[in-house]
Amino acid sequence: MLQSNPAAKILAGGTDLLVNMKHRVEVPPVVVNIKMVSDLDYIRHDNGAVRIGALTPLKRIYQTPFIAEKLPALAKAASFVGSFHHQTMGTLAGNLCQQNRCKYYNQSQWWRSARPTCFKAGGEICHVVNKKETCYSSYCGDSAPALLVMNARVVLQGAGGSREILLGELYSGDGKAPLNFRKSEILTEIIIPAEAVPGVSSYTKYANRESIDFPIVGAAFWGSTEKKAYRVAFTAVDKGPARGHRIEALLDGEDLSQDIVAEASKLASKEAAPVKNSIFSPGHKRKMMGILFQSAVNEATRRSG
Amino acid sequence: MKKVIELNINGDTHDLLVSSNHTLLEVLREKLGLMGTKRGCDLGACGACTVLINGEAYLSCIMLAVDAVGKEIITIEGLAAGGDLHPLQNAFIDQGALQCGFCTPGMILTAEAILTEDEHPTEDVIKTKMAGNLCRCTGYKKIVEAVMSVNEKIGEEA
Repeated sequence: MLQSNPAAKILAGGTDLLVNMKHRVEVPPVVVNIKMVSDLDYIRHDNGAVRIGALTPLKRIYQTPFIAEKLPALAKAASFVGSFHHQTMGTLAGNLCQQNRCKYYNQSQWWRSARPTCFKAGGEICHVVNKKETCYSSYCGDSAPALLVMNARVVLQGAGGSREILLGELYSGDGKAPLNFRKSEILTEIIIPAEAVPGVSSYTKYANRESIDFPIVGAAFWGSTEKKAYRVAFTAVDKGPARGHRIEALLDGEDLSQDIVAEASKLASKEAAPVKNSIFSPGHKRKMMGILFQSAVNEATRRSG
Repeated sequence: MKKVIELNINGDTHDLLVSSNHTLLEVLREKLGLMGTKRGCDLGACGACTVLINGEAYLSCIMLAVDAVGKEIITIEGLAAGGDLHPLQNAFIDQGALQCGFCTPGMILTAEAILTEDEHPTEDVIKTKMAGNLCRCTGYKKIVEAVMSVNEKIGEEA
């Protein structure tokens, strides 16, 4: 079905797609329900690496003792997605493939009818950034930054076979079509490499209402104190989840002292280009990126120490 | 596209002609007249439409009816067994844990899912897991107390 309908959408948990369809911002001609596909709901160990099936509910991620203990950034991120109901219904791959968000896009058809249709909804204008021929919506999922700092890989299965790519390569950086899927491909598995398991990690989220809201900003941190290697990622600040390469370069090979973490946090605001597509200003988001990065480092190192 | 499906709701089997795009909430309310499941935001943000699917709390407004085939669905109407109110329903009445009552079915079913999953959750766990159920009368304190009172009773019986 996916092969004959390139515009078809995949339904798993449905907590993102059905809301967008009700808003008429997504009007797919065909919806393919993969919830009944068997054998995509698992958490397996494979030579030190962890393999997670695409349909694993978010709740099961943080309720699995191994993940809660060894991969706290992922457990925390999964426990921060929406409410308990969303964590029961929603899947890990669904959260990774969540549509980008914008205050001019995630609104009812009636609300949007007051303005010309924007790029994201099929029009030819962006209400956030004028005179730019592209969509500036943001990826707002919680789990992608946590998996990015673990250098996770994803398996994409299509008519032409399966391929494995780094999670970071899944995100196109294009607000209108944020995911790099080839025709008729679906995400089937998430792989956390063995290298990431011994490290320390955490994810911190700042949201309007902690209970159910998308992040205003989220920051994930992973570090190996032995190898002195560190990775940082942010969410809700750019068209895709953003890696903190400047911070990583500064910290590389160093011990994590309070001073160097404070210095690194000053670089946080340069790691992404937030725009005014939510009710919070880009300046506020930039400031919070540094603060959340520091909290994530403190949490990760406190837990290990 | 219309489809005939069989749904197991509150222990009864129903054969229903539904559209593929009908949500479970629409089928419960409009086809079966089970008005206890409330339509609040209709976008999965308020928890008023909560039902139990195989014992877990699901939002029926963002779940397709065709997706519920083969699953055990419990709505607030199905919670009282043989005319006796469920302990959670009694606790909500005893503690005065409702004002207008619109959020109550969702609150009770979410609480039931929490107590099924974890026999003795702490107050913090209850608060975290029930955070997706909004009450606009803002009576959360009594609601948490009602759930806690049932939580404590489970211990006494055992």
